[in-house]
Amino acid sequence: MEANVIKADDLSFCYEESSEGISDISFTIDEGEIVLLTGNSGSGKSTLLKCLNGLIPSVTEGEMKGLLSIEGENYSDLKMHQLNQLIGSVFQNPRSQFFTDNTTAELVFPMENYGFSPEDMRARLESLKNTFGLDDLLDRDIFSLSSGERQLIALASAVTMKQKVLLFDEPSANLDYGNAMKLGRILKKLRDKGYTVIVADHRFYYLSGVIDKVLFMDDGKLVICNSEDEFKQGSYNTRSFDIFSINIPFSENASQEKTVARLENVCYKDILKGVNLSLNKGEITVLVGNNGAGKTTIAKTLCKSIKPDSGKVDIDGLPFFIMQDPDYQLFGTSVENELELVKKDPKAIDEILEYLGLSKYKYKHPFDLSGGQKQRLQIGMGMLCDRELIVFDEPTSGLDVYSMLNVSKEIKKLKEKAGILVISHDYEFIRHVANRIVYLNDGVIEKDFILDESTLSELNNIFMQMQEEE
Amino acid sequence: MKAVKINPIVLIIINIIAPSMYIFMSGKYLQIYLLVFASALFILMGRFKRLAGFWVVYALMMGLYYLTMQSKGTEFLGLFIIVIVQSVPCIALATILVTKYNSAQLLSALETMHIPRVLVVAVTITLKYIPTFRREFSYITESMRLRGIGFTWKQPVKSFQYFIVPQLFRCAALAEEVTAAGLVKGIDAPMRRTSYYEEKVTFIDALVLIVFAAGLAGGFVWKQML
Repeated sequence: MEANVIKADDLSFCYEESSEGISDISFTIDEGEIVLLTGNSGSGKSTLLKCLNGLIPSVTEGEMKGLLSIEGENYSDLKMHQLNQLIGSVFQNPRSQFFTDNTTAELVFPMENYGFSPEDMRARLESLKNTFGLDDLLDRDIFSLSSGERQLIALASAVTMKQKVLLFDEPSANLDYGNAMKLGRILKKLRDKGYTVIVADHRFYYLSGVIDKVLFMDDGKLVICNSEDEFKQGSYNTRSFDIFSINIPFSENASQEKTVARLENVCYKDILKGVNLSLNKGEITVLVGNNGAGKTTIAKTLCKSIKPDSGKVDIDGLPFFIMQDPDYQLFGTSVENELELVKKDPKAIDEILEYLGLSKYKYKHPFDLSGGQKQRLQIGMGMLCDRELIVFDEPTSGLDVYSMLNVSKEIKKLKEKAGILVISHDYEFIRHVANRIVYLNDGVIEKDFILDESTLSELNNIFMQMQEEE
Repeated sequence: MKAVKINPIVLIIINIIAPSMYIFMSGKYLQIYLLVFASALFILMGRFKRLAGFWVVYALMMGLYYLTMQSKGTEFLGLFIIVIVQSVPCIALATILVTKYNSAQLLSALETMHIPRVLVVAVTITLKYIPTFRREFSYITESMRLRGIGFTWKQPVKSFQYFIVPQLFRCAALAEEVTAAGLVKGIDAPMRRTSYYEEKVTFIDALVLIVFAAGLAGGFVWKQML
């Protein structure tokens, strides 16, 4: 008989400082299952995840009721360090999920804490190296790794204590398409080895065909689907399971003659090898390519943050650059003030806030907004500015489907007044906004085409190719 | 010459003792002694670039000190500068700790000194926050440049606020994330912590400490002789 690895009975949690929380959560997870935990932003998904990894109640304070048990032991009877020998956590953020900055140090870190002897550590390290194929990754600076490699280290360090239950918090947010698909395959292998895997994510295309159970959070309440099919038949937008079959109308092409920026034969170190690109007003150009292909470097040359070794960058003034992480570029004391910093035009600001549905947050501090709202505020800044080129770096990473659709709609409106360059690996989002696809591979532009009915297969091929390369 | 590896404990001890010695002995002697001692350590460890940087900063500040000491009106500035100059060798030594050793090594070193775990964790997180801070700071200044929000002396408070506020929010978020990262990796485990990077105290380590102590003792003798 299969045993319940995790069991929740009437679990509820209420944050100390707000009315948000989860209530009446009951479910069981069996050994060797892959469980998807999903739901919109603010639905209680992360709250439930924090209950599972023990950060509630040990770090986040609030009122917890009900029962939660793992392998027959009650969570409330377990100390944090006991729980973490049973359950391994992989967080979303590469910046802070590592405690050290060296891969080997990171992998042995838990073992040091639990008092392993150096011989045991070496043996375990060797076995982790073989299981996860870490031969080239040991003793490296974590920040010099690619996102896929980092994910692998995070995963390996989560099972150093031979934990059999693994929790993932939005793994796809910081992975490109190829690496996300690779993660899906790794998870499947882990399941075959008897691991129980719980993945909390907005996107789940990389889990297609491997999900055993779906825990769907809807406004603090739980809906359970006992199979992937049952989940697909539900009312939630699950189209993104098979991203290539989605039928999305092509974004209207309003490209104008006016060129807003041009790169001529740009070379930079061994990252860019002779890039030619010209961007037009009214056109949304999406730059695709695997991590390390040089996408961000192109954006940086356009922003004049780096000077190319050779070649010409032709652009009037600076582009408006919207980074992946909005926290780095919000400086205002309120939402209204944030927009005023771009341009003092109260009438335009009110119109934009109204359009973006942010009017009621006008006097709130930008940091109090949710991820999707921050992203929209940044788009609002783009609408208000007088720059000719607006550059987005992964604008949909970490957004749920509905926020992604809103962001797409707003970016499409932006092109009326400027040229737009988007760096993205979010296929669904790309299909919504792109007029033109530029495929960058190893520092060279391999493909550059207008996206329509006739070239769709070409885009799909690029994604297939990216998957194989990783 | 091969760069010598020095046990982080030695550096930590020196960093604790050196600044506190200013209380007990002649500032002038200690200042020169620490300058020579730190320079020698840098050479031993093969950190020539950092040594050059350290000398430039030192020379500049000394120059400034002599300039301000020329007139009565600016003397108070000079006195202020000399206090900072005296801490330059110590700061230079501390930077080696942060850049050359990873946090696991620092943690192990501090553990062997029988410092309580709570303090060890706090110190390690703080030390590791410096490089993170530098990275984050560069993102923020870059994004200020792109948004056209520059630092202006016309509105120093306002300009300062632009980069301090996001930084503070990052701090709060980061502190929570780092704590979580440590907790799920068993940092609260009650058993005695072991170390993968066993830092044995070598002959060189002992020698460095002896030389350091001898230099300090020399300072006391010198003071007596005056």
